[in-house]
Amino acid sequence: MEQKKYSIKEDFSMLALLIIPVGVAVNFVGGQLASILKLPMYLDTIGTIFAAMLCGPWVGAVAGGLTNIVTGIANPVNFAFIPVNVLAGLVTGFLARRKMFSVWWKWIISMLVMAAVSIISSAPIVVLVYGGVTGGGTSIITAAAMAAGANIWAAFFGTEGIFTVLDRIISFVICWLVIKVIPPRTLVKFGCGSNYIKESK
Amino acid sequence: MGAVIECKNVTYSYPLAKEPAIKDLSLEIERGKFYGVVGENGSGKTTFCALLRGFAPSFYKGELKGEVLVEGKKTTDYGGELSAKIGYVFQNPFTQISGVKDTVFEEVAYGLENFGIPAEEIERRVVEVMQMTDIEALAMKSPFDLSGGQMQRVALASVIVLEPDILIIDEPTSQLDPEGTESVFAIIKTLKEKQKTIILVEHKIDLIAEYADEVLVFKDGQVIAAGDKRKILSDMSLLEKGASLPQVAVLGSMLKERGLPLSEIPVTEKQAIEVIARALEERKKQ
Amino acid sequence: MEKTYTERIQIHKTNKLAGLYPSVKLLVVVLYTVCTFVLGTVHFTRVDLSLLLIPWFLVIPILCASSGALGKCVKALKAVALIALIILLVQTFLVPGGEVLVRFGFLRICEKGLKTAVSLSFMIMNIAGIFVWLFQTTENKEIARALEESGMNYKAAYVFTSTLQMIDILSENSKTIMNAQKARGVETEGNMIVRAKAFFPSLVPLILGAVIGSEERVLTLEARGFSIQGEKTHLFNLEKSGAEKTAAAAAVMITILIIAGRIALWVL
Repeated sequence: MEQKKYSIKEDFSMLALLIIPVGVAVNFVGGQLASILKLPMYLDTIGTIFAAMLCGPWVGAVAGGLTNIVTGIANPVNFAFIPVNVLAGLVTGFLARRKMFSVWWKWIISMLVMAAVSIISSAPIVVLVYGGVTGGGTSIITAAAMAAGANIWAAFFGTEGIFTVLDRIISFVICWLVIKVIPPRTLVKFGCGSNYIKESK
Repeated sequence: MGAVIECKNVTYSYPLAKEPAIKDLSLEIERGKFYGVVGENGSGKTTFCALLRGFAPSFYKGELKGEVLVEGKKTTDYGGELSAKIGYVFQNPFTQISGVKDTVFEEVAYGLENFGIPAEEIERRVVEVMQMTDIEALAMKSPFDLSGGQMQRVALASVIVLEPDILIIDEPTSQLDPEGTESVFAIIKTLKEKQKTIILVEHKIDLIAEYADEVLVFKDGQVIAAGDKRKILSDMSLLEKGASLPQVAVLGSMLKERGLPLSEIPVTEKQAIEVIARALEERKKQ
Repeated sequence: MEKTYTERIQIHKTNKLAGLYPSVKLLVVVLYTVCTFVLGTVHFTRVDLSLLLIPWFLVIPILCASSGALGKCVKALKAVALIALIILLVQTFLVPGGEVLVRFGFLRICEKGLKTAVSLSFMIMNIAGIFVWLFQTTENKEIARALEESGMNYKAAYVFTSTLQMIDILSENSKTIMNAQKARGVETEGNMIVRAKAFFPSLVPLILGAVIGSEERVLTLEARGFSIQGEKTHLFNLEKSGAEKTAAAAAVMITILIIAGRIALWVL
């Protein structure tokens, strides 16, 4: 099969432009829902992952960055985490282009990569800018571990690690369930959409 | 009165589709006429509309053979300016808002802003259209706080304000209650009086019978009948092909079969009353 | 005479500070942030605490109050204050390092912890506070218009504004969907797995609906001349309050004074 060419300009088609607000809003609603259901995860990058899976890394990055800008309007602390969400979009988008979401073992690799990138990119921000505490649910565990004498970095990685992986698994499964039910006729209009269409013989 | 839109041997397939959605279609849309488009679901009506407006293939992609000409120019050769010539109203009232405006007034004005019309003229034109579509009372409300019927009127107003000569309206009332349907048709009637070219897809065949000049019947991606509404809607052979006809037409044809000397088969209620009354009168005389 | 609709959609502010032109407000925010960092480098007491950040924070409530938006700002600052408080407590009591200053029972305060506690929490409060002032005195519509006026591409400005509306719409829709799912017997309470399971039927239809809607939205925008090239008209326009020059001059002056003071402290 011929390798598909991508261009940034084509990435930002009209449809992709409209998927960005959807992505941001889904991040927002996902986060809200997670806190209503009292889940110990943030689940606030579903929209970023979704936009990146469909429209590639650049659109994903914009959706990610814009999320933190917009939520930053209400709570400026979120500005500091712009890079984390941008990176999540970029990485997911590149994985999507490489068709890393096609079979189960690639899923596992992709999810671990996504979780790793998220932890590695947020760790320095949380530790250096906020001293290891963001006020979220897992902060308490981090704080307790720190009190017990654990190193601040180790405490962060240990507690955040498990939940971040879980977070990515749930987020990814949701995106996958949605993509599976989008009609192929619609999917082809998205930059990476055709990667999810089973080729009929 | 010449053809304003022409389809020449148009065959169109959506991407990944095995069968074309429109097969070898050739027809002309004449200026100032009102076309009613009918047919079963999936018969190609919406695709036909999308082709006339150039959304297919520019947005839907897929493969187009033959050509669609709007005022002699191919739809594929137009850029954004086709929106000044052809207004388009969709089925779902709730997806037809710009998504960036806080009030109905601004929503209706949005298109004119994009066209760079001076502010005073926008004000004047928007107010005029809001009055015509009976939404002036909603002017300062948020577009998100409206009912389906109100929303559809706002969608119509947003298109009419651009003063296009041609309007394509795709099942505007399928998601509305009777009251909403009536208000939408009141607007369509005014548009007809203004001599606009109108292409209306509508399942409610009685409404087509009342307002349209010409009827196009679609089946399996082809036009199986086209012409004056009185001729088409009274053609009982279409019933066998799956088209629905006005109940008064079916009734009229049955009466005629049973021997009532109807001068013509009626397609609207009003016409039926007249025709049947006249026939009964004549029978009395005999 | 009745006001025109164009007149009625404008935003008029009587308060001169709240009504500042958005770009001037942004200048104030940037300069305030610079000042915060400069003041944060001034240390006092034996353990080098950045105590100046505490009185400096008083500027925020004063600014908000004179803009006539104290209530709104306090509300918005609560979330930030909570985070700052947690950081203050955790850092003060839990982070070891340096000399132990106070000890009561199992709690102890160490030098390093106290130092970062004070500077970090007040740095956050100051910077977040000035942004809160900006966003609470400026409506989203004004921000979007200012972005476009500063030369931002109209498509980017569209994405920004539409995002703000989309959040409202999807939040509304998610409530509707969640209630519908509850009515159909989806459990939203119970152990974590039960609750996690409720997450899926609430979110999947929401995203799907939004995607399908976007498709039609593209065509709607095209039909309204979104991609027409050329000058666009703007019915909504930003207004100046008249205090722009004074405010900008004051902000620049204060910044210069603070920087000068900082340099003087180094030299002396």
